[in-house]
Amino acid sequence: MFIGRITGSIVSSQKVEAMVGQTLFIVEPLRVNEKDQSDLTPTGRSFVVVDTVGAGQGEVVLCVQGSSARFTKETKTLPIDAAIVGIIDQVHIGTNEIFNSTEK
Amino acid sequence: MKIAEVIGKVTLSRKHPSLDSARWLVAIPLKSNELNTNKKKTTEPFVIYDELGASSGCQIAVSEGAEASAPFHPDAKPIDAYVSAILDQVEVY
Amino acid sequence: MLTGRVIGRATATAKHPSLDGWRLLLVQTLDIKGNAEGFPELVIDQLGCGKGDTVLLTSDGAAVREMVGVNNTPVRWATLGVIDR
Repeated sequence: MFIGRITGSIVSSQKVEAMVGQTLFIVEPLRVNEKDQSDLTPTGRSFVVVDTVGAGQGEVVLCVQGSSARFTKETKTLPIDAAIVGIIDQVHIGTNEIFNSTEK
Repeated sequence: MKIAEVIGKVTLSRKHPSLDSARWLVAIPLKSNELNTNKKKTTEPFVIYDELGASSGCQIAVSEGAEASAPFHPDAKPIDAYVSAILDQVEVY
Repeated sequence: MLTGRVIGRATATAKHPSLDGWRLLLVQTLDIKGNAEGFPELVIDQLGCGKGDTVLLTSDGAAVREMVGVNNTPVRWATLGVIDR
């Protein structure tokens, strides 16, 4: 599972039948700051993911990758390999809070 | 399964209904030269589903991919990393 | 399937029930030349593989589920044999 920030969305009119009605977001994975583990830093990579929880632009989310992305009743028939399954509230490293969704 | 060192935890404000009672850890997978040392681990951390109660500093066994959701069979949960064991001891020859 | 070198072992009290009774070996996976490649894997072992052995590994989840005897095990890697040469 990885943490990422929603940086954009994808609109596609011509698509396979299975994907009709699915929300597609672009997510940039975040990593724990390597230097001092004091915050989450962008990685510069990006994934296209299907949303299962009603997330929105700018939110920090938990994503699942691989065949596990199909292990929900909403996604089991979809041709996908990555999905948003949660919206992050807080991240702690040890006892330090390094991310809180209410502070932006 | 990989060996990983737990460094933190994640809480969610909203989640897929199948993940309602989940605890989530942040952990770093360990390379062979990083086992049983205090030196700085270099790999990118990832997030892992935990039902054993591991905490920061623990070494754990992590199942990845489709096997991560096997413990919930026949239910399906969208999980690609699962704590299979909290390691008491890792002996490196 | 991959080859690997046994570099250690691990013990655990808190674990998924399907791991009860299984030896957990730490195996460094190897490339075609026999050099370490990737992260070491914890694998289950029923053969008594030990220190320094080069072993044959499977990542066939279905085969491992059959070996363990339950269909809900999170284990994917197991030893299949000790490589003589």
